[in-house]
Amino acid sequence: MSEGLLSLALPAALLWPLLLMLRVPLLAALADRRRPALQIDGLWCSAPLPALGMALVLDEGALALDWWLLGGHWVLEGARGQLLIVTALLWLLAGAYARGYMAGEQARAVAGDRAATSRLTRFALLWPLTLSGNLLLLVAEDIASFYLGFAVMTFAAYGLVVNSATRDAHTGGRAYLVMAVLGEGLILAGLLWGAGSAETTTLGGLREGMLEATGGAWIGLLLWLGFGVKAGVIGLHIWLPLAHPVAPTPASAVLSGAMIKAGLVGWLATLPLGEAGAGEAFVWLGRAMLVAGLAAAIGAALYGVCQRHPKTVLAYSSVSQMGLITALVAMGLVAPALWPALSVAVVLFAAHHGLTKGGLFLGVGIGEHPPRLPAWLLWLLLALPALSLTGALASGLVSKWAVKSVLYEGGYSAVVTWLSLAAVGTTALMARTLWCQWQSERQARTEGLEPLLSPMPLAWLGTLLAALTLPWWLDEALIIHGWPPLTDRLGLLWPLGLGLTASMVAWLVSRHRPLRLAPRLPPGDLWWLLVRAAQWLHARGQVSLARLATAQGRWVAWWVAREHKAMRMLDGMIHVESWLRRHAAVLMMGVAAGLALLMLMSN
Amino acid sequence: MNGGLLLAALGTSLLAAVVIFLLPERAFRARTGVNLGAAVIKLSLVAWMVWGLRLGHEYAVAFPVLEGLPFVLRADALGIMFAGLSSLLWLFTTVYAIGYLEDSPNRKRFFGFFSLCVASTLGISLAGNLFTFLIFYELLTLSTYPLVVHRGTAKALAAGKVYLRFTLTAGLVLMIGMVALYALAGDIRFGQREILAGLEPEYQPLLVGLFWLLVAGFGVKAALVPLHGWLPRAMVAPAPVSALLHAVAVVKAGAFGIVRLVYDIYGIELSAELGVLHGLVAVAAVTIVFGSLRALAQQELKPRLAYSTVSQVAYIVLGVGLFGPLGTIAALSHLLHQGLMKVTLFFCAGNYAEELGIHRIDELDGAGRRMPLTSLAFTVGALGMIGVPPVVGFLSKWYLGIGAIQAGMPWVIAVLVTSSLLNAAYFLPILGRLWFRPGPDHGVGAWPGERRLGRFETHAWLLVPTMATALFSLMAGMLAGMPFSPLEWATQVTNAEYLR
Repeated sequence: MSEGLLSLALPAALLWPLLLMLRVPLLAALADRRRPALQIDGLWCSAPLPALGMALVLDEGALALDWWLLGGHWVLEGARGQLLIVTALLWLLAGAYARGYMAGEQARAVAGDRAATSRLTRFALLWPLTLSGNLLLLVAEDIASFYLGFAVMTFAAYGLVVNSATRDAHTGGRAYLVMAVLGEGLILAGLLWGAGSAETTTLGGLREGMLEATGGAWIGLLLWLGFGVKAGVIGLHIWLPLAHPVAPTPASAVLSGAMIKAGLVGWLATLPLGEAGAGEAFVWLGRAMLVAGLAAAIGAALYGVCQRHPKTVLAYSSVSQMGLITALVAMGLVAPALWPALSVAVVLFAAHHGLTKGGLFLGVGIGEHPPRLPAWLLWLLLALPALSLTGALASGLVSKWAVKSVLYEGGYSAVVTWLSLAAVGTTALMARTLWCQWQSERQARTEGLEPLLSPMPLAWLGTLLAALTLPWWLDEALIIHGWPPLTDRLGLLWPLGLGLTASMVAWLVSRHRPLRLAPRLPPGDLWWLLVRAAQWLHARGQVSLARLATAQGRWVAWWVAREHKAMRMLDGMIHVESWLRRHAAVLMMGVAAGLALLMLMSN
Repeated sequence: MNGGLLLAALGTSLLAAVVIFLLPERAFRARTGVNLGAAVIKLSLVAWMVWGLRLGHEYAVAFPVLEGLPFVLRADALGIMFAGLSSLLWLFTTVYAIGYLEDSPNRKRFFGFFSLCVASTLGISLAGNLFTFLIFYELLTLSTYPLVVHRGTAKALAAGKVYLRFTLTAGLVLMIGMVALYALAGDIRFGQREILAGLEPEYQPLLVGLFWLLVAGFGVKAALVPLHGWLPRAMVAPAPVSALLHAVAVVKAGAFGIVRLVYDIYGIELSAELGVLHGLVAVAAVTIVFGSLRALAQQELKPRLAYSTVSQVAYIVLGVGLFGPLGTIAALSHLLHQGLMKVTLFFCAGNYAEELGIHRIDELDGAGRRMPLTSLAFTVGALGMIGVPPVVGFLSKWYLGIGAIQAGMPWVIAVLVTSSLLNAAYFLPILGRLWFRPGPDHGVGAWPGERRLGRFETHAWLLVPTMATALFSLMAGMLAGMPFSPLEWATQVTNAEYLR
């Protein structure tokens, strides 16, 4: 029954966003030239609805179509099913938010602003396309479909990042694209190598085959780094603080909430996590991942608190949180026995972070265009997801408790300590975000900006509600550890207290003696070093490319010269010929004499 | 034995050429009718043979030219695959060329040689032995020369000279190789691999030498580095000619020759035993990276596409060099895949040049808004070249990658990924300019030479073939598991090759 239903629901869920995308140029073509059509309307917002419905109604199922690419195989199952719910929900709410966010743009487009029209069209086209890629990768089990979903999402999201077409947006877009292409290359290498060794076309086969393949850990490393670009592994995260903030706010929310999780999904789908006999090399890979994850969790927090724009701070917070997730995934290689329990906690954590971070990003737009709410209520609502992210309440508390209990039971209390330190950093980041928002909100009030249309606050409130009540509506199988007992709560709250105290102290110090760190620490950190290096390399590269060209030219010239020489030789033969013609009589006599001589001698 | 169909298919294009030469220059309608009619008839004949081959019919015809040296036409699975590609793309290119050359002089000459060129491509694909192959191979050289120099400018004539130098020399080399092989083993029909494999072991060094001689001969048309020098120069040809040259006729004929040489004359086992496959892989790897690097340095659209061809056709040679069925599937399917994608890209380049006067890449800013369908087709082709699914290029890359692993050459993956990254580096900026930069239609600057060619974004005869080939590249990827898809066809041929 479920199979039959899925074979209808899955194509519907994946194709509906594409149909809505095709509708955009159709509407534009049919519309009156003087009165452009409204491109972001209610129907457009419904793009993720079929997927959400499918994930909520159907528990699991599979669909296989042999004629698709290398053989299509899609499944809806446990962990990825839950992530699908969260992803589709966030896309739905952010889409509704976009309707309000883009209202100003729509008004300008209707008034005849061509630049606004093209920005709007681009957004209306690429949003559903990115969504369909994100949905596809969550249900794909064959490698080709998964890679397709990943690539579609990655390349289409470029258009969302550069949507505003400002200078910053182009910088962010370039960083995004360069790193994304690099990541795609690493992923392709890992997938080809793994699939070639295992002779498989499915992700499951790849995961199992990697254990037996020679150099399996290298395949794992390639895949970890490749997906790590999306997930913001330290060193590869540099595009994230540049690209996430410059996108339109609803796009930032799905970038940081939903799409960043594609990296995690990639790891879960391909790495041999929780396999006891994986071998020493994989344990070393796990250790490297663990160190990189913890370094990102703490380093990004330290760097992020020096940023000035709330969205940049939030982007660094995403790097930090994904660092935590990286560390947890690494435990699946370091301590495979923990993985069955830990994997559940990881998915819960990812779901919590996705919705909460989405809510925080959407809140930035709310802070810039405050709705008619009493100030205390507005700030309470803005602070709630921040508190949840630090692990103090609601979904944050539940997921943090789940992670910690698993690690404690496994005897990894050192990792727990590091995680708590990261939580201190998260608290500081959240305090910084709210502070930055406070600043920009005050500015907005003095400038008297128009509060935006109701879809924005409504979608924001919906996201907050969904994020905070996550433990009550998500699949019970994910909430195995439930709520922490009161005695343990104090142990969970100390990072919050420490973080708040540190933030207060830092604020007081900086009031008296401004540190002016922010201008010296630009968003994107290592990116700027890379840009320098690339410029240097580019100059060298131009020289070598020019050399290649001259070498090629010389090669052709050499042959042409040879040919000329040959021609000259032929010309020379013609001279010989004419000489022969002139002296034909002598020659004939000579030949005759020679022949006669020969005959005489033979006799 | 059913040779009539073969002769009919070959004769269609030859007859079309003769009729076009006889028609007066101004007989536009009649010429268009002959062109399209012949293309459709030929496509149906080839389709008929494809179907017949599936049902197990055989198509062959042979008559002696000299004692022991027959002229042989035979439709085997490999040949008919190439024939299918050439007749399908001929139809599209003809439609495109009619639109492209509207109101330009010397159309009679152009279409006459165009038909001759396609006839020789068909002859190459249906040739049953090396002798017949070479006849059509040389005919191809001679019939493409007038197309390359069609514009008659000094630059075109110079390019034509270079083209002739390279290809005629190569023809000579091939002739020597063929005569030597004939002296060694007599006439070898394609598929009679046991002849060379059955020679005494002391002939092996000679066989290796002859192999490289023949590869060098084919390598000129296949544009293997360092024999590729003519290809970027031949860019001066009109867009439909470039499309034909790069997608199916000349470059592919060279690659197809190498495929025939390895699989049907030497046989893959003997080639592996002689150790020549490693050399092929090395040459291909160098060509792939070199072509991509040179493409990166080009500032004009068509030369960039030309160097991209250098790189992409080497994929076919790479696949041939990977011992094992997967490498063969990759090589054979890429023969078709690259044709579909590259013809699309050249059609697009022609559209931009005709409609907007664009030749340089930096003039493309914002062209996506002015010509959305052409730009969409270009996007499909470019993403396919990079290897992004669901365009067919991904499938080629996939089979090459896993073929390399199974042949025990994991380093080839590094070459593939490098090539993908370089492809991304030279195609993505173009896509960025098309779609994300403001251009004349956003009120910034002006097109170099805008002409309003039709009711749509450009002339319908230019637009329709472009969209059709782009759609084919997309569908051939998405529906790769369907019967008669290029991949499935290549798999069939490969199974026949290895299971024998």
